[in-house]
Amino acid sequence: MKVTKKNVWSAAIAVSLTYTAAYADGHTADVYAPYEGTTLVVNFPAHPHYNAVLDVLPEFTEQTGIEVEVDQLQYLRMRERQTLELTKDEGDYDLIAYVVFSKADYVYADQLENLAKYFMNPRLADPNYDAADLIDGYVANIGVAGGDKGYLPGQTGSLFGIPFGAETSVLAYRKDIFEKHGIEVPTNYDELLEVACQIPEVEPGMGGMASRAASGHQASHAFLLHLAPLGGRVFDAEWNPIINSPEGVAAANALKTIVDCGPEGGTTFGPAEAAAAFQQGQAAMFMDSIAFASGFEDPSRSTVVGNVGYAMHPEGVRRGSQTGGFGIGIPSNAQNKEAAFLLMQWLTSKEQDLAIAMAGGNPSRFSTYQNAELNEKFPYSATFGEALQYADPDWRPIIPTWGTINADIGTTMSQVLTEGLDPQEALDGVAERARATMDEAGYYTWQ
Amino acid sequence: MSTARANRLTPYLFLAPAGIVLAVALFYPICYMVYASFLDWNPSQRIGEADFIGLRNYTKLFSDAAFRESMWVTIKFSAVVVTIEMILGVGLALLLDRNIRGMSVLRTLFILPMMIAPIVVGLMWRYMYHPTVGIFNRTLTDWGFEPIPWLADGDWAFASIVIADIWQWTPFIFILSLAALQSLPASAIEASKIDGASGWQQIIYIKLPLMLPVLIVTLLLRLIDSFKVLEVILVMTNGGPGLSTEILSIRINRTASEFRELGEAAAMSNLLLIILLILTFAMFIYNKAQEVRAQRMRAVEEEA
Repeated sequence: MKVTKKNVWSAAIAVSLTYTAAYADGHTADVYAPYEGTTLVVNFPAHPHYNAVLDVLPEFTEQTGIEVEVDQLQYLRMRERQTLELTKDEGDYDLIAYVVFSKADYVYADQLENLAKYFMNPRLADPNYDAADLIDGYVANIGVAGGDKGYLPGQTGSLFGIPFGAETSVLAYRKDIFEKHGIEVPTNYDELLEVACQIPEVEPGMGGMASRAASGHQASHAFLLHLAPLGGRVFDAEWNPIINSPEGVAAANALKTIVDCGPEGGTTFGPAEAAAAFQQGQAAMFMDSIAFASGFEDPSRSTVVGNVGYAMHPEGVRRGSQTGGFGIGIPSNAQNKEAAFLLMQWLTSKEQDLAIAMAGGNPSRFSTYQNAELNEKFPYSATFGEALQYADPDWRPIIPTWGTINADIGTTMSQVLTEGLDPQEALDGVAERARATMDEAGYYTWQ
Repeated sequence: MSTARANRLTPYLFLAPAGIVLAVALFYPICYMVYASFLDWNPSQRIGEADFIGLRNYTKLFSDAAFRESMWVTIKFSAVVVTIEMILGVGLALLLDRNIRGMSVLRTLFILPMMIAPIVVGLMWRYMYHPTVGIFNRTLTDWGFEPIPWLADGDWAFASIVIADIWQWTPFIFILSLAALQSLPASAIEASKIDGASGWQQIIYIKLPLMLPVLIVTLLLRLIDSFKVLEVILVMTNGGPGLSTEILSIRINRTASEFRELGEAAAMSNLLLIILLILTFAMFIYNKAQEVRAQRMRAVEEEA
């Protein structure tokens, strides 16, 4: 009894001392004191953004005394590893970066912490965090689940992760080539397709636009990139596949035109190959994630430094640039959840978002894109900030059955691109198979 | 009584450790896979949480056009590569089965390809097949020919993976055939020479029949291996374009990791296992039949 009492007292003294210290110091360092000496294990992808994060991470350890061990993996491998890790009773990872389409799987399997309890905890949540500054399209796409259609925000949704290393699409083009031939930067799809096929004529040996097109995920990604601005969707509000609509066929034809007029061997390109083709001057345009922009300005890898201009993703019947990339979340089986939350909050704070952006990462905050210093270093930042206003969180569905449907779209699109399969016929097949997959998964139970 | 019983049990006692190891290391994983193929199992679930769905995974597979396509690609791939590799490997062995100076160095050089890690082989070939900077297309354009869409066209992509596989695995057949050739009884060959057999006759009537048991085992090993090849093709084409190079093991890999259907992937693996078992048994029976026939012939000769 006595012992217990003594413990309570010493705990109380410790707590009050901590508070006094925090107030006396006038800064927040002591928020971190209880976690000093903790080692957090985080799982990040090998990705330009996360390479920039590695530059600022030592600062976190210095400020907080919390050690961070980073396990960096290629992003598809990362997902496989996480799938295994998250089913364990006690996981090894305290904080994970997840690919956006993992959101559905992880939240559905109850493997990600709902962040409400951390943001409600006055000892953990930073009052100056300014969540309203986070880019809403990203938060909707990557962070929130449980609202509209299950994977979007809405009255019933809540937050499971914070966008970190998220991306949208912009059009990168060769200023010098466009100027040389007096070509205007395309603002809509008609112009885009026209310019894409005009380039190889006026500039022999150079492709119009480098695009992903490899069989599987890449071809599907490339197709969906055009589907949203051209007015299409994969499913309607009742989960009926509408991918074979006239808009879908238009998107498939657009992709085929782009690949046909693109650099040689384009049908095997993944994002890295497509970016490399643009970087090496084999294509005059590249429309993909903003994450590649810093690579184009890197003289050790790029032959087009200083010649790259950026424009918004051209408009079809509407504006709709992609949203994707990564978010960070805390696994339900993490062992140091509170410290992990502190790291997550620190990484996505205004200061660090800017620091990471300065090191070549992708901002998660509007304020970062408006920062004068960043705009001076990376002049394209303003365009990216503008493009993000049109970021479409619903350009592809984030549902557990997406893996199967995505792969089917990808292999079928590849057949359209390489074997001359008719786009309408191809998409009819996709729609039929998607319906069967959705039916099996119970999406038509209420119909 | 009890001593006799103990004596009878002793052999089993000694066999027990091996039996246990076999059960744990071999049968448990296979049974696990067979069991998993009856489940609707998502990798985010533990196996205990997965629903039992009976044979649905199998019925789904047979109605899945993509699976049938990948089955056909696998069979085509195996048949083509194994046939060409056997012809080349045995041919090379017959050519090099002689005393040339530096033979041991040559032999080591020949088997280098199969010592390289498959991922590296895949990467190497992928760069060689690169549409613009790859060695093949650069050479072709230098000589004034049209470049070939090695990995960008379905038929060419299939040919490309076949070429890479032949490059890597012909040495395996070569080295086993060479070993078989060198262990052939010299007396039989000498006797045939004395009887005036030409080089071709020696090969067709003496060497090949005597090598046959080894060749059959080699063929079987290669066949099993070619049904399971994954990394090289994964790196080179990832099954594309379309489904033109999506062999079964890539399909299994994608089903498990991309589509997140572990039950279906297990069902596919089981089908693959069954095919390989059938092949193995067929070879085994053929071998046995050959032996029995040889014995009968010998018996007939002795009687005569």
